[in-house]
Amino acid sequence: MNDRSLWRIAIHAALIASSVLMLYPLLWMMAASVRPEAEIFSSGSLWPSDWSFQAYSRGWTLLGVGFGTFFSNSFIIAALSVAGNLFSCSLAAFAFARLEFPGKRIWFALMLVTLMLPSQVTLIPQYAMFFNLGWVNTFLPLVVPKFLAADAFFIFLMVQFFRGLPKELDEAAIMDGCSPWGIYWRILLPLSTPVLATAAIFTFIWTWDDFFAPLVYLSDIRNFTVTLGLRSFVDAAGESDWGAMFAMSILSLLPVMIFFLLFQKMLIEGIATTGMKR
Amino acid sequence: MIQSHLRRLVGSHAVAGYGFLLPWLIGFFFLAVGPSLISLYLAFTDFDLLTSPEWVGMANFERILTADAKFMASMRVTFMFVILSVPLKLALALIVAVALNKGLGGLSIYRAIFYLPSLLGASVAIAILWRQLFSGDGLVNMALEPFGIIGPSWISNPNYSLWTLVALSVWQFGAPMIIFLAGLRQIPADLYEAASLDGAGPWRQFRRITVPMITPVIFFNLIIQTIDAFKSFTPSFVISGGTGGPINSTLFYTLYLYQEAFGFFRMGYASALAWILLIIIAVFTALSFLSSRYWVHYDE
Repeated sequence: MNDRSLWRIAIHAALIASSVLMLYPLLWMMAASVRPEAEIFSSGSLWPSDWSFQAYSRGWTLLGVGFGTFFSNSFIIAALSVAGNLFSCSLAAFAFARLEFPGKRIWFALMLVTLMLPSQVTLIPQYAMFFNLGWVNTFLPLVVPKFLAADAFFIFLMVQFFRGLPKELDEAAIMDGCSPWGIYWRILLPLSTPVLATAAIFTFIWTWDDFFAPLVYLSDIRNFTVTLGLRSFVDAAGESDWGAMFAMSILSLLPVMIFFLLFQKMLIEGIATTGMKR
Repeated sequence: MIQSHLRRLVGSHAVAGYGFLLPWLIGFFFLAVGPSLISLYLAFTDFDLLTSPEWVGMANFERILTADAKFMASMRVTFMFVILSVPLKLALALIVAVALNKGLGGLSIYRAIFYLPSLLGASVAIAILWRQLFSGDGLVNMALEPFGIIGPSWISNPNYSLWTLVALSVWQFGAPMIIFLAGLRQIPADLYEAASLDGAGPWRQFRRITVPMITPVIFFNLIIQTIDAFKSFTPSFVISGGTGGPINSTLFYTLYLYQEAFGFFRMGYASALAWILLIIIAVFTALSFLSSRYWVHYDE
């Protein structure tokens, strides 16, 4: 065996060791959710001595309002957010990428500036506005901004994609008497499924995981998202029912895990080409 | 001739342009510009949401900068967090990316495994897991026991609690790693071939070729990750139960801002805190760009 292949084996060994180290806590949490309660604090193994799904049924109803409610709330908010982002961001991106109109460059520059604005700056006036509209403790403050393209990052993402599509398409369509709406709806959107899918998946995952906005805007437990439910769980169960807490945590990660397994390649390409932070 | 005529036709859609832009324009004024201006005004007022804001001049800023021990604590914690977590995370991301770029095989599997924590890490579920891992009888101490080490309760010891949050952040090195990998692929292979013909070893190649060639990516990751670290909220909230404790040792800046705004309803004061955060981020970004001409190499 030469030096080179020894070196390769060493790198593989290091990578495998660190993969195991990275995943161990996750796998251990899965094991902890089905093992006997007493074993959680005494066993580091990934294989429970005895399997039981009691922690799941205990956790599901522990807060009085079931996790089923939290899951459906989270799904509603995430689905509306996806619809809102796809609709509003693609409209704006089409205007920026394909139409000529006075002031376009300035608006585009301003759009890029909003990308840099920390959400903490606009938080309090937005809260006051939604409070005065009577929207606090409804889903509206979480969803309506998505229909107004508040996630400008996705506009940027779509502009980049639209610019890559041949301009001759638009010209041919105009010859056939197509309106700008027709170009957008019948030509560009059908060609843009990759970028629309990327935007949809990231919107779903980020909304699903979002903790801050629901924490600020939702106060009635029946309106809670899964993330808020988990938080109240920590307060209610404290350090006493780790099994149930882990069980609900695993369930909360499930949709994101499924997206990861199905669309892993798309997610990784999205990160690599646009530099998204997570 | 026909081409330019067509282009003018395509390009003459002023009304359509603004029509398509309308949702964003509404959002831009009502969710970004308007609130920013109001926030700037509120920073100079006392405001409790229910009664109208009362002008207090510089009083909020004066108190924040001279008489607010919690502000000082949260600044110290946040800067410590940024200074510890960002370099560690980026160094690990770069090392693993370089190892994966050697063409060893199994790239897509490793990449997926290392990326998964980035995708899950910001969730409440993972913060809950972290609470258990670093508690007195948690998994970490279980792992240390065979070595005869009786570990403390890491999360309730103010000397270590911030480190558990740093560990959580470093665990999520996968996203910057993927960006590094994309950058490494752009480096022409013949550079390395020429270097090894000249007798340069792996370490020398790394220092003389890899690092200079990906400084733009390092720069990009540095800015994104630093801004993100300054704005981090969920882990400190969940792990400390919303208090930033023990003894303010995990009181992230955003958590302090949240407590002021929604715990005490001191919304004017919290607006002043938000503008200080904006200034810190702006100064950091400006300094990074100024420094970049000395260490970031772009292809001419």
